Amino acid sequence: MENNIDRALANKAGIQLMTHVVAGYPDLDVNADLIRLMASRGVKLIEIQIPFTDPLADGPTIMRANQAALDQGVTPRHCFELCAALSKELPDVAFMFMTYANIPFALGLETFMAKASQSGASGLILPDLSWDESDGDYAGAAREHGLHPIMVISPDTGGPRLDAILSRASGLLYTTLKVGITGAGAGIDQAGVEYVRNLKKKTALPIAAGFGISSPDHVRMLDGLADVAVIGSHIINLMDAQGLGAVDEFLAACART
Amino acid sequence: MSRISDMLPRHFGPYGGRYVPEMLVPALEELEQGYLKYKDDPEFTAELTDLYQNYCGRPTPLYFAENLTRELGGCKIYLKLEGLAHTGAHKINNALGQALLAKRLGKTKVIAETGAGQHGLASATVAARFGLECKVFMGEVDVRRQYPNVYAMKLLGAEVIPVTDGTKTLKDAVNATLKYWIQNLKDTHYILGSALGPFPYPVMVRDFQSVIGREARTQILEREGRLPNHLVACVGGGSNSIGLFHPFLQDAGIRFHGAEAGGRGPAVGDNAARFGGKPKVGIAQGYKSYFLQDESGQLQDTHSVSAGLDYAGVGPELAWLHDQSVIEFAPITDVQALDAFKRLTRLEGIIPALESSHAVARAIELAPTLPKDEIMIVNISGRGDKDIFITAMELDRENWIAFLENEVRHGK
Ligand SMILES: Cc1ncc(COP(=O)(O)O)c(C=O)c1O
Repeated sequence: MENNIDRALANKAGIQLMTHVVAGYPDLDVNADLIRLMASRGVKLIEIQIPFTDPLADGPTIMRANQAALDQGVTPRHCFELCAALSKELPDVAFMFMTYANIPFALGLETFMAKASQSGASGLILPDLSWDESDGDYAGAAREHGLHPIMVISPDTGGPRLDAILSRASGLLYTTLKVGITGAGAGIDQAGVEYVRNLKKKTALPIAAGFGISSPDHVRMLDGLADVAVIGSHIINLMDAQGLGAVDEFLAACART
Repeated sequence: MSRISDMLPRHFGPYGGRYVPEMLVPALEELEQGYLKYKDDPEFTAELTDLYQNYCGRPTPLYFAENLTRELGGCKIYLKLEGLAHTGAHKINNALGQALLAKRLGKTKVIAETGAGQHGLASATVAARFGLECKVFMGEVDVRRQYPNVYAMKLLGAEVIPVTDGTKTLKDAVNATLKYWIQNLKDTHYILGSALGPFPYPVMVRDFQSVIGREARTQILEREGRLPNHLVACVGGGSNSIGLFHPFLQDAGIRFHGAEAGGRGPAVGDNAARFGGKPKVGIAQGYKSYFLQDESGQLQDTHSVSAGLDYAGVGPELAWLHDQSVIEFAPITDVQALDAFKRLTRLEGIIPALESSHAVARAIELAPTLPKDEIMIVNISGRGDKDIFITAMELDRENWIAFLENEVRHGK
């Protein structure tokens, strides 16, 4: 199976950026502008988070954005529509839906995958749908819908669990650089670098590294090490404090690395 | 998977499990191995038993409520007085067990979530007792309505951290605690306060709380020479109910009753009755069970006069027992609970917690319909001291406000 994720990573020059948008925060129109801006700065991998009341892996920034989006009445349907519109407009960008287990579970996992696929997404990220629960082992079904099941691991994931995850994952492997929640900390330490280096030896999958990336320097540090740098909370913070122009500048600075 | 995992139930029917971000798994596995290693270890159980007896005040009494029985005119009603346990509620049973385990696992810090504050109080207490550093996460709304417990926790040396996310109640305190834990796994144990969350918590908490049912069983056999016909308990997350029920589940002919928070009524957001209306299965807070949620899968706001029942989910074992029609659930409104609160206080001289008042209210509904020769045990999961600021406002508003104003003006 090949989709936009594979294409984005196939003929890459240097590290790719993967950015994150909470659908409905601050609103769906700004989401669309933000996504266009990201694409115009060469971002080829974009996560659309479907907001959930209890986002277990997210730090304060993304949590707040989830709640604000829900307060506005954003539903999964709006998120599918956002993705459908933007994936048509930006056919080279690989969109991924990121959310928590109860959202696909409420709709029915198969229906959710079908809708995600119809709206032009290329991958799913469901960090709390554990592969060792019967309904969490959805990787094969996702691929049948043309979606890469993107597994999230951390530096503490080891041994047989890592092997089991690697045998299921495709598209890319998403790892945190440390054990924590999104937005936590401010940067990358040597342990994180070593960890990614070792992980590279274990898998041929492209590796996306994230959690705490908040400057072009961080991206530079990961260049040559990971395939993708994931930027989430920092973009929300920039947008909140200084507007889309600041996001544009930041992405431009990252792209120059 | 390790063979060891197969020895503790990870699922109850389709419920339970471990639905967490991968980075929490090592901590849960460590806990699982640790619990498995110590749960039947003679030294561990001897130490826990000693603490139960000499620190906690166990066994708690099983009291024949003669006046209540006479007034209702139905079955014989016994009360299991968990409120007489140290810190005033059943929560101490579990907190002691987990703190002992945390020590064995070499942890120096504990964290806990709390709704009513009883579990936070129990955790702060055992932390003081064992010399563990303690942080308690509590929804901002609950900090406000259960301040006496907040004060007590601080007195015990715990740091109380108000949670301002989401509904600002118990469910958000659980999220905040799990997140803090993710960032501090090495030296910190999370003392989860009810029989829910990711495996192994539901089974571990149930086991620690089963001391309630084991004692009740022995006590009723001594007193009546036979087992009860009815067991009644309130159900927030479900730890006091599963603790009472579990040791009786193999017995024939017993009916199990769970009282949920019916709040202001059946409208969405007005209650926390997961089994009222159309129960809906979901996955949140690390486990699969019934959750109050909308059609998109967003957890719903809940309301109850009792902070301890004000929670959108329910323990997975109770969900499974519901499906098998073993436990009969019924919603009890705030009004009913307050009425039961007053009646038990007046009739028996026992001031129950607002949570427990839900169980009393269910007993008041049921008992008159039952034959005189039947026996019912109602779990009084806690005593009502902590609720004084709520009950006084509901039942003695003017005098109470006058008292508070006077305290503020003239208190030194
Ligand atoms: C006195 C009392 N009873 C019951 C509960 C509800 O918890 P559970 O359903 O786990 O017993 C609480 C929770 O705070 C409580 O303080």
